[in-house]
Amino acid sequence: MKGLELIKKAMKLEEVERIPWVPFVGAHAGSLLGLTATEYLQSADKIVEGVNKAIETYHPDGIPVAFDLQIEAEALGCKLAWADDNPPAVISHPLMEGTKLEDMKVPCACKGRIPMVMEATRKLREQHADVALYGLITGPFTLALHLLGTDIFMQMMMDPEATHQLMRFATDVAKMMAGNYIEAGADVIAIVDPMTSQIDPASFETFVTPYITEINDFIRDADALSSFFVCGNAQQNIEQMCKTKPDNISIDENIPLDYVRDIALKHKVSFGGNIKLTVVLLMGDEEASRRDALECMDIGGKKGFILAPGCDLAMATPKENLIAVSELVRDEVLQGELRASEAATDNIELLDLTNHWDKDKVVIDIITLDSSSCAPCQYMVDAVARASEKYGDKVVYKEHRIKEMEGVQMMATLGVKNLPTIVIDGNIDFISQIPPINAIQAKIEAYLEAKN
Amino acid sequence: MNELFEKLADCVEFGKINKVSPYPPNMKDQDGADEIAKQLLDQGVSANDILMKGLMIGMEKVGVKFRENKVFVPQVLMSAKAMTAALEHLKPYFQSGEAERKGTFIIGTVEGDLHDIGKNLVAMMVEGNGYEVIDLGTDVKAETFIEAAENNPGSVIGLSALLTTTMSNMEKIVGVIKEKHADLKVCIGGAPVNQDFCDRIGADSYNPDPQGVVEFLNALAS
Repeated sequence: MKGLELIKKAMKLEEVERIPWVPFVGAHAGSLLGLTATEYLQSADKIVEGVNKAIETYHPDGIPVAFDLQIEAEALGCKLAWADDNPPAVISHPLMEGTKLEDMKVPCACKGRIPMVMEATRKLREQHADVALYGLITGPFTLALHLLGTDIFMQMMMDPEATHQLMRFATDVAKMMAGNYIEAGADVIAIVDPMTSQIDPASFETFVTPYITEINDFIRDADALSSFFVCGNAQQNIEQMCKTKPDNISIDENIPLDYVRDIALKHKVSFGGNIKLTVVLLMGDEEASRRDALECMDIGGKKGFILAPGCDLAMATPKENLIAVSELVRDEVLQGELRASEAATDNIELLDLTNHWDKDKVVIDIITLDSSSCAPCQYMVDAVARASEKYGDKVVYKEHRIKEMEGVQMMATLGVKNLPTIVIDGNIDFISQIPPINAIQAKIEAYLEAKN
Repeated sequence: MNELFEKLADCVEFGKINKVSPYPPNMKDQDGADEIAKQLLDQGVSANDILMKGLMIGMEKVGVKFRENKVFVPQVLMSAKAMTAALEHLKPYFQSGEAERKGTFIIGTVEGDLHDIGKNLVAMMVEGNGYEVIDLGTDVKAETFIEAAENNPGSVIGLSALLTTTMSNMEKIVGVIKEKHADLKVCIGGAPVNQDFCDRIGADSYNPDPQGVVEFLNALAS
């Protein structure tokens, strides 16, 4: 199934055949090209080249065109400090430095780096019809904070009307950006508003909800999908986020995914997250990346969930870790193996196999994912069945599917670590590759000989 | 006398800066932290008592509420502003030595990170709890932290990062500090930071909220 279709299904809360994967590759794509963030984020051609490289390497179902929450601020006159390994940072706040709000205008889409990201979007759209393109816009509260600085938190309390006017302006900017991204071909508009994590639910409801709702409606009217991104511990605002009626919300590892899942589904909103960005993807290895991703997948499930990192990937994130995740999402056998090995270390109740063995018969256990949905598993079971025919009731075989708890327990009890595996009289004899019939029969005869 | 301490603590807890401030609505037109601190000084109350019996009590209540997610950044900033307004009146007494600080805390955001909200919150709350705070600002290199620590023996360093993309700089900075001064205490915080990360990079304390920083400093000072 094509990535864009998967994303659409997930966001409509339809069951998907596999969980969609959306790595938040921003300046990290620059590192794939050997560029600094400064070089990468100031060139449409480099962005196209970098996103192409990321698509080729990580096989995403969706991907951001650029992850930079300073584009609108820059177009509005904020000064930026550029860095080698980070997106730029806003270092000036016009409304704190004498500019009046009434003198500010929604910028022309021709200003600053806006044309750059729109051009990149158009080119990527032409080249990747099937990958969901995410156009990221600065959420209005975060943009308002760029313009006014942290004084906005006091202004909210001391002069709420002024904050509403500022949010009105920031929302108009956001709609301009969303409209241009959609026109350029973006499928999903992500409203990225990390600063909303800092405020209480009552303030969120007053100063954020009406404006984000308006943006979400605008995006829907333009036949695109909307996603509401927040970074940081925004647990107190998850419910309010859902009430803005986005198609999707996405969170980072500060918030428990099961908590988000339950609230989102209650509001009929799809949800994404939240592979650990730092201790796993940046500092961990492939094994840790697979395990953390699988944990998210198992919590998120196949209805409404999109697997993503917690936030913008660090440039130095090892690409091997992201490749490991991209392979995992498509490999149900590997998922099963990880679950079973996790089960063993999680002290799953091992089975008492005392009565499982037989002093007169050879007992064959085939550990599979599920022979109906895993082709190698099916052939493995078939091979055992055919090999056993000539021995009649002297050979007993049984399939143990690890999609069922008994299968997981059996796998752990027998010490099996790969799928599919053939265990004969408790001995792991064939792993992964389907053996020839005569090889199985040779083993059976050896065990029968030993019993006589 | 006792009543004014309580009022001052309330002003800090609920963010009543001064008389003209319209926030919080139920304290409108009342004296704020600014006026009450001055009244206490005029009555001959010592700066230390004003800090210990008024400001710190209010600030601790806010810190606990913040930790428990009962108040958030806007409320805490208003409290910090109220505390700052009162502290302005006490500054001469700290400088003259009549009132004592409990220790020195050096704070900044790590190199590459120019976000200052969390850092400012921690700085204000730590100061409100009786410590001298040296705020190095944003985008601070390891060498700058070390120099400030060497100029202030016994101080503790606080590192803040809001960007996940500047996490690796935090690790480098902690590494450089510990290499030069193994006994220098470093605490870390910021939205993407957690205990796992703290353990990995060898920092002494991770605190998800400013009150945790205060408690860490208080434990060291005792």
